[in-house]
Amino acid sequence: MATSEKAVASKNGKAPRWGMAIDLKRCVGCQSCTLACKAENGTPPGIFWMRVLEKEEGSYPQARKVFLPIRCNHCSEPPCVPVCPTGASYKRKRDNLVLINQDKCIGCRACVVACPYQVRFIAEDSKGYYGEELTPYEAESYKKWQPRTVQKCTFCVDRLETGREPACVQTCPTRALVFGNLNDLESEICKLVRQRSHFQPRAELGTDPSLYYLT
Amino acid sequence: MAHEFNMKLTPQEEWSWLLAVDLFLGGMGGGLFLLFLLFNLSPSIAVLSLGLVALGAVVLMVELGRPLRAWRALCKPFSSWISRGVIFVTLFIVFGALYSAPAFDSLSWLAPGSDTARRTIGVVAGISALFVTLYPGFVLAASPSIPFWNSPLLPVLFSFHSLMVASGLIFLIAPLGLESADLRSISFLGGILIVVNFVLGAMYLATSKGSGLASKEAVRRLNEGSLGWTFKVGVILVGMIVPLAVVLWTPSAMALAGLFILIGGLLFRYCVLKAGVYVPFPLT
Repeated sequence: MATSEKAVASKNGKAPRWGMAIDLKRCVGCQSCTLACKAENGTPPGIFWMRVLEKEEGSYPQARKVFLPIRCNHCSEPPCVPVCPTGASYKRKRDNLVLINQDKCIGCRACVVACPYQVRFIAEDSKGYYGEELTPYEAESYKKWQPRTVQKCTFCVDRLETGREPACVQTCPTRALVFGNLNDLESEICKLVRQRSHFQPRAELGTDPSLYYLT
Repeated sequence: MAHEFNMKLTPQEEWSWLLAVDLFLGGMGGGLFLLFLLFNLSPSIAVLSLGLVALGAVVLMVELGRPLRAWRALCKPFSSWISRGVIFVTLFIVFGALYSAPAFDSLSWLAPGSDTARRTIGVVAGISALFVTLYPGFVLAASPSIPFWNSPLLPVLFSFHSLMVASGLIFLIAPLGLESADLRSISFLGGILIVVNFVLGAMYLATSKGSGLASKEAVRRLNEGSLGWTFKVGVILVGMIVPLAVVLWTPSAMALAGLFILIGGLLFRYCVLKAGVYVPFPLT
């Protein structure tokens, strides 16, 4: 799938709106997306831009586990953006991604509290997984964010700009995650959303998330 | 690892004591300036109110992850209540200082030339003070993720609570030289404010209880466990009932009532913050 801006713009006059369809029938809760996100973005201990919630339903012998991968929804009407007093949280016009300019972030946490999906985080320090001294990998990947400012899923914006899918999508072994342009009616994600029953998380809040859970 | 990712009602952990102290100091300062204007009190009261709001702003800066970038919080007044709050605080400190300056010889050069200019400055300072008491409620109410805060009653409650706490501070410092006529009027107003806050608080909790699972959980947290004790004993008994009894029946112990109102006011803000509960994700 082409994700670079040029490729998308040539198909459709509208700016792309990147989104994700998550097939709950396919998700097996393996957390490989969680780990792929960690490996790609080098997030510090305790912070998961992407994670899979799980819950037990029913009782023996009909007990089962259900899974729900969650991450920033890159909402069309993101509640985290208007509460930001500095403009650090913003929606990028050219591809509708909700991003953070960490140089502007003052760490007031208003967006963390405003996000109904609890997918914004603040790393209090730059400690690595193995103590104060960072591994060479951590030292490199920690350059992507600043301590005491807000961070969150960017849909792997660096990868998108080089025409690649987010790391979680590429990693998912069951193809439960489908990434694409919600403004392109011919895209796989739009077809899936048209064909399958689905819901958007907490759509009642009017945030219009770019995430669709296929049920 | 995955077991940590279960869905449940989780209280917010982002804002706690430091923000409660900031809201307390800022609200008390704004309320004190309004009482200063209303009762034409000594200019030292105005200076105290400016100091409290400035101290609140310092506490807020300490809480920020990046305090040296705090000036950036002025950038988004058209969308962010925090940004508006920072502007109101700045306006209040500037215009409040200009309004109070003529009372002090060393600062008289700051004083406006005409009465009209002074009145205008007083009106701007007064409106800014009112918004300093209101804006924290709007900041919290702007969070759709926490239904307990997402209520139009919250800014009103915060504003009235700020006025009550300011009257409590006047009770506390009255022995330092407040005129007895002023104290009588303010104690009367203080008593009314306690009753108004009690009624508003009860309305707020009653409406919250019927506003969904997370709000109901927030109200439960205010009634049970350690937060419940802090709320029931600290906010209601110490912060409202005892001071009201003192105002009505033992005016000689007004300073003690004032101290109790201040303790209750700080705990009220802490309890409102700690009771905030996120709505959990739905899982089909």
